[in-house]
Amino acid sequence: MGNELENMAYDWVHSTPENVDIRSEWYCESRDVFQSRLDRMMNDLLKGKNVQEGKLYIASAIAGEIGNNSFDHNLGNWADIVGVFFGYEMEGDVLKIVLADRGRGVLSTLRGVKPELENDVDALRVAFTERISGRAPENRGNGLKFVRENLQDENMHLVFFSGSARAELNEVMDIHDADTVVNGCLAILTV
Amino acid sequence: MKIELKKFGEVLVSRPAGREAYLAMSAYLTKDIGSDEPIEIDFSGVKVLAPSWADEVVTHICKEFGNVSLSNTENASVQATLKTLREYSDLKI
Repeated sequence: MGNELENMAYDWVHSTPENVDIRSEWYCESRDVFQSRLDRMMNDLLKGKNVQEGKLYIASAIAGEIGNNSFDHNLGNWADIVGVFFGYEMEGDVLKIVLADRGRGVLSTLRGVKPELENDVDALRVAFTERISGRAPENRGNGLKFVRENLQDENMHLVFFSGSARAELNEVMDIHDADTVVNGCLAILTV
Repeated sequence: MKIELKKFGEVLVSRPAGREAYLAMSAYLTKDIGSDEPIEIDFSGVKVLAPSWADEVVTHICKEFGNVSLSNTENASVQATLKTLREYSDLKI
């Protein structure tokens, strides 16, 4: 699929439940673990001074939104393995952040409030452009709009898989059928 | 009344954490504050702010109190989050 970290995340979402590596240093079983590793990532990268400070703060906020979405929308509904894969690495001056979950996916989440959604491509388009939340009537649903707008503003790149759809976002947004199916979500952020 | 968000952490990203912060503020900081008294939300020391956390705190405080100001908002993620809240969460400040 890509580099080693991306391949680990890809395997993490595609493995059978008994083969998922829950001993991985990148596995966050709970939101608290995810939060502490997000803090650690930011502090480690600040020390390294490889990423411009403001950009790192925005990238951390984007990762926080995507990772917390996994917990928000799968609480009590995980297909099998609870939690998220969250890894990061520097490739020269490029920061790569990878997040994945084995949850319900965007289409199942949004169909509860928008039953007319026909497929995974439609679901991703709505998720990134409309103020809508699978947790209605709670008044929320601004997270992925924040993600999309800041990818544009900060010249970052995101590839986001859910179900049979693949979204690619930077200065433009392109969503189409993927050549793989992700039962849950897989996000690769390049900074 | 000044609310220093750094006292809730440097990385403020999730809704549950934001909701907990708001409840703690309501119990210990703003309980006896009148709805027209000035409140300053101070973002100094916050490194990462995401809209999920801020929606539970900043949006709610601004709905509850009529005289709210924001200070030390220079951080890039604070700026970006406030922009999102103004656009999508009806934040009026």
